[in-house]
Amino acid sequence: MLSYILRRLLIMIPTLFGVTVVSFCVMQLAPGDPVLSQLNGASGQSTQTPDAYQLQKHDLHLDKPLVLNFRYFHDYSPEMAAAAHYLSLTSEEILAELPSLAERPDDPTNASRLRFLRGLQISEFTARLIDSERRENLSRIIPRATSVLLQDIGENGVRAGIELLQTTNDQKLKLGAINCLGRMVPEPFKYVYTLPATDAETPDIVAVWKLWWGKNQDKFPPLEKEAREWLAEKLADMAKSPANVDRGLTEITDGNDADSAPRFFAEKLLRDSSLAEKVAASAYLKNVFSKPLVTDLPLNAGPADIAEAESNWMEHERLYGSVYRPGLLSKLGYVVGDTQYAFMLKRLVTFDFGRSTIKTHDPVSKLIWEGFVVSAPLVFLSELLIYLVAVPLGILCGAFRGTKIDRGISLVLFLLYSIPPFVAAMLFLVYFCFGDYLTWFPMYGLHSQNADNLSWLAYLGDYLWHAFLPVVCLSLFSLAAIAMYSRSSILDVIGQDYIRTARAKGLSEPVVILKHGLRNAMIPILTLFSSFLPAMLGGSILIEVLFSIPGLGWLGFNSIEQKDFPTVMALLYIEAIVTLISFLITDLLYVVVDPRISFSGRGRSA
Amino acid sequence: MSEGEAYLDIVWRQFKKNRLAYFCLWPTLGLLLTAICAPLLASNVPLVFFDGRETIYPWFSSLFNPAESIDFVFNMALVSLAPWVAVAVTTNWWQRRRGVPGRRRAAAVFCEFLLLTVAAAGVFSFAAMRPLNRFSLRDFPTEEFESHGEKHGVYAVLPFGPIEQDLDSRFEGPGYRAADSRAVTKSNQHRTHWLGTYTAGEDVLARIIYGTRISMSVGIVAVGIYMAIGIVVGAVAGYFGGGPDMVISRVIEIVLLFPALFLILTVVALLGQNIFYIMAVIGITGWPGIARLIRGEVLKQRSLDYTLAAQALGASHRRILFRHILANSLGPALVSVPFGIASAIITEASLSLLGLGVREPAPSWGNLLHTANEDYHRWWLVVFPSIAIFITVTLFNLVGNGLRDAMDPRLRI
Repeated sequence: MLSYILRRLLIMIPTLFGVTVVSFCVMQLAPGDPVLSQLNGASGQSTQTPDAYQLQKHDLHLDKPLVLNFRYFHDYSPEMAAAAHYLSLTSEEILAELPSLAERPDDPTNASRLRFLRGLQISEFTARLIDSERRENLSRIIPRATSVLLQDIGENGVRAGIELLQTTNDQKLKLGAINCLGRMVPEPFKYVYTLPATDAETPDIVAVWKLWWGKNQDKFPPLEKEAREWLAEKLADMAKSPANVDRGLTEITDGNDADSAPRFFAEKLLRDSSLAEKVAASAYLKNVFSKPLVTDLPLNAGPADIAEAESNWMEHERLYGSVYRPGLLSKLGYVVGDTQYAFMLKRLVTFDFGRSTIKTHDPVSKLIWEGFVVSAPLVFLSELLIYLVAVPLGILCGAFRGTKIDRGISLVLFLLYSIPPFVAAMLFLVYFCFGDYLTWFPMYGLHSQNADNLSWLAYLGDYLWHAFLPVVCLSLFSLAAIAMYSRSSILDVIGQDYIRTARAKGLSEPVVILKHGLRNAMIPILTLFSSFLPAMLGGSILIEVLFSIPGLGWLGFNSIEQKDFPTVMALLYIEAIVTLISFLITDLLYVVVDPRISFSGRGRSA
Repeated sequence: MSEGEAYLDIVWRQFKKNRLAYFCLWPTLGLLLTAICAPLLASNVPLVFFDGRETIYPWFSSLFNPAESIDFVFNMALVSLAPWVAVAVTTNWWQRRRGVPGRRRAAAVFCEFLLLTVAAAGVFSFAAMRPLNRFSLRDFPTEEFESHGEKHGVYAVLPFGPIEQDLDSRFEGPGYRAADSRAVTKSNQHRTHWLGTYTAGEDVLARIIYGTRISMSVGIVAVGIYMAIGIVVGAVAGYFGGGPDMVISRVIEIVLLFPALFLILTVVALLGQNIFYIMAVIGITGWPGIARLIRGEVLKQRSLDYTLAAQALGASHRRILFRHILANSLGPALVSVPFGIASAIITEASLSLLGLGVREPAPSWGNLLHTANEDYHRWWLVVFPSIAIFITVTLFNLVGNGLRDAMDPRLRI
């Protein structure tokens, strides 16, 4: 038994994996840009800057390849050379260069640049290049497209960028390489602690500020004794709690000692001090000097600026260079691990479904929980109804097989089986709810408007009144199916020898059927219980939409209609898992209810 | 092969014994006939029209230029009905003289119909082969009305088209006749809308008649797709066992885990609302059930003596699987065909009801329900499509029941 459960659980792993693959494929079909829909809601009206777009893209890992990432094995130096070339030119210079690209495409330099430009996937690139009137437009697009490409390459290209920076002597190209590095690593240095702060970050942060202090310490006047005491007081206050930091910052900036304060804080940061003091000091310095080390340059930068930026990037390489040179094993790991699919898998496994793209941007898990709270009682009630009605009906038919009762009930059941639930629901709505005929039941929702003021008994009554028709509609199909199933199941049992024995003992017919027959006939029926549950969670879409009940089905339909794909994917995934678990429970129930079945042997027949 | 024939003969004999199912087989075929003959039953294009000088036949040429591609296929079936009757009677007579058994003859007649339809659709899909479409812009009911008795038309049983609009009689109840309440501009407005009118004054009965085409085609094509996939995949899994079986079983399990309607809704919403996508998606999500059935049957048959005998005779895997084993394991899968058609029809109607199915103005039954859901005063848009769906589903379910009983050896007498 235990080994059987273990085997089932093991089989669940590839199945779950397959479920995530299917979810991933379905989501790849989704039209539109997922980044835009995350940023602007499903309506897709663009209100965001390109930078916000790129940041969001990076956060969602959409700049990674889909399933296999070979970027760690790719040598980016050709791309980097071309990209550095284009990022060092103004659009006028690019425009001046384009005719030679169009006229002499076979020239070696031109050929490699053309290969790079084609890789940027600019629409109608060749047509724009040939047509001299459209070149101006193209020259403005090229730097932008290059930036996007570099942002997508990200840290994979840093090594090639640094190498280019080191090897080239051309100042222009150095400038371009520095700009390339700036696009690939938007924040090269760590200036402040991420809260809550830990000591692990201290060496990096101190090293960065040390570098800055070495270059700039002469700019600040020496500290007076009074100023030192006043600043020490402020620092102690700021170190007490992160909430005081902002207030401290404004007080110091507005105070008399603003000029010499950086010296005090830099000394504090670089010498012995507590972690809290270091956090406050680095926050102050970052606040005053927003980009202390130059890592990005304008296109007209002079040689001194270039040299400084280059030395800063070298420092970056010294501090973090090992990250860009992963070993072979980590590279192999990144091939499958650093991809869109891997990140989605990680999120699905940890049940982190992100946020809905509908205006309010609620977390998907919250939406699903709210839907579940509404749907679960409905499904439970209809299961109750099904078993309370269907099983007795089935037994009745079985006991009176061949008589008029049996035929009549079977016919009714068959008709019920053929009525689609939504047809029944709409007929009910027209004749029992809408008011043109009868107004016995409400049309919408699960509660009256004043439901919150009712006593609990009246509240329950109100709920049942609202839930009656939806529950009936949900139940019709399964009710007929289970009744027919239990009828045939009872008929199977009645043909057995032990029933004949029971009759031969002289037991009355009800005792024979209810006591001897029922228990064995119930085995297959009870196990159906768990398999109908997920089917109804998924299948209640129509009923919930028609009766305007904000349950899981309604949520699913709404998110499909409003193209809220994170919610759709989460629902598909969760319902698949619920179904999987209920399959498992079904199999285990077999064993519990029927001791004749055991899974210790070679397993069941197919 | 002769054993196989005998088996199907037994099934047919058993099926005929179930009088209810046998009785329902004919209305089921009648539904198909309704779908094919829809333009004969309801059309606003006259069969024959005398326009004062000459007699023209616009209905026939309108058959070749319908708005929807589904309609084109059914129209071609309608066009080939008459030649088919001639061909069928001739071949039937010829085969009967040669002593061909009845089941064989029925199959031949059916194949002839399919062949003729496909041939007609193939030939007339080239615009050059069609009759000249001279009348498509003419509105014959208006012409007839405005000519004050000079022009005459002979119309179909119901002189309304499924997408013929009449903006002055929108959402009128059953039994509405435009001529009773206002001045009319068309000759067919003197006729009664027996089941009421729709959004833009279209006749609901005409839409229900044409809706049969959508339901039938979705049901048959979708089930055809998933039977084809399911049989091949299930047979491979059951016959080869081991690795392929393991993989295919996992795939079957995975597809079964997803809630079918929700998955179909999602994919249709992503791909676009097109009747062919709906057929394909229902087909692609439906195969695991069939595959599981076939796999089980094939597993059972594989261990029987006749398979061993075939292997001993040196038959190839393909021959053993498709010629011997599959012929004996198709039974349970065939039983699920009518049930499958019924449930595909329900699925299509649900999609249209949710507004994600066939796009308006295509006359799907679900679209009528979708419009009714906006305002329940229009009860006729609920009741009549519901009856149509209910009757269709019941008929297919009854036939399926009969087939199941006929194939179940335990019930054989």
